[in-house]
Amino acid sequence: MNTDELISHSRARFNHHQARIALKEKYQAKLIFAFGGGMWRAGPELISLLTGRTNIDIVLMDLYDTPVRVNAPQLLALVEQRWQEQMNAWLVEYEELNRNR
Amino acid sequence: MTQGVTIFAFNNEQIDYLAMAAWSARNIRRHLDLPVCVITDVNDTARTVDFDQVVLTESPATQQQRYFYDFKNSAAWHNMNRSSIYDLTPWDHTLVLDADYVVASNQLKQLFDVEQDFLAHRVAVDASGYPPFNDNNYFGSYRIPMYWATIMCFRRSDTARLIFEAMQMIRDNWDHYRQLYYISENTFRNDYALSIAMNIVDGHTLSTPSIPWPLMSLTSLSRITQLEPDTYRIDYENSDTEGKPKWILLKNQDFHAMGKKSLGDIVANPC
Repeated sequence: MNTDELISHSRARFNHHQARIALKEKYQAKLIFAFGGGMWRAGPELISLLTGRTNIDIVLMDLYDTPVRVNAPQLLALVEQRWQEQMNAWLVEYEELNRNR
Repeated sequence: MTQGVTIFAFNNEQIDYLAMAAWSARNIRRHLDLPVCVITDVNDTARTVDFDQVVLTESPATQQQRYFYDFKNSAAWHNMNRSSIYDLTPWDHTLVLDADYVVASNQLKQLFDVEQDFLAHRVAVDASGYPPFNDNNYFGSYRIPMYWATIMCFRRSDTARLIFEAMQMIRDNWDHYRQLYYISENTFRNDYALSIAMNIVDGHTLSTPSIPWPLMSLTSLSRITQLEPDTYRIDYENSDTEGKPKWILLKNQDFHAMGKKSLGDIVANPC
């Protein structure tokens, strides 16, 4: 067994693992945005909740557990945009990370 | 309603906080597109050209010394007037940043669009994943939740005013509050005062609104190198890595650089 190679591989894995965690922290934060005076996290749950509710104002609990009246289609458009942008950016950085590994 | 960023910059014999603040102001303008005010005791227009407003005030009198691990030396810690920000800031809606907070994205812009009078970070994480760092998210024997004074976003409001007034009360009676909360350190810290103040103003409910993402931090055990304007390589070794050198990259990621030496080197020779 080439222990130098094993050590090198192990260290690279450690760095890669920590880099993945840091990347997740970064994009979890970037999925958060403000709208209508409330703070929201873009994600499948919010998209599902808002999908199909056209042309209506609804009251939702934001990240601060505050009820906020929002225009559902407007919020949905923002959520989907934010979700797509940040998930794509996350994927690009993640793939770059894997290539560098 | 005016909006802007305010940074405190009181140099000591080790660290040029004003240079850090000027470098940060350029990052802030690039990413947040907000005017920047500095509160300092340095009356030198050549050194303050990067700021939209300069508030000159005396350096807070202090006997406090802080040991800086990266400098392996102690220096005066001029941190006693943070709570006077409410009176000193020129903005109606203020984002207060430590001079050593690195803005590398537009993430903080969100804070101006939410209906909250006062926000600070409740949780900080170490970018290198050093587990003992999590203990910093609580303080005192009762493990009171820590609110970090590194970033504070507030509007002129009764809530914000009361929090800062309470911080001043806690600072002026630090020995009392230190004993009340069973804090072993003698040194006054704004993080402790802010945490106690927010808890008091919020009726001791431990449900104070906070910035809904963690404060990414780098301890003085990390060495920071700037590779591109918003890309930093972080080299670190700690007990968790058994002393072996490790590294990660932070790209378009804001962070709090607790190690002032590396940041000072970057500020002196930026990309």
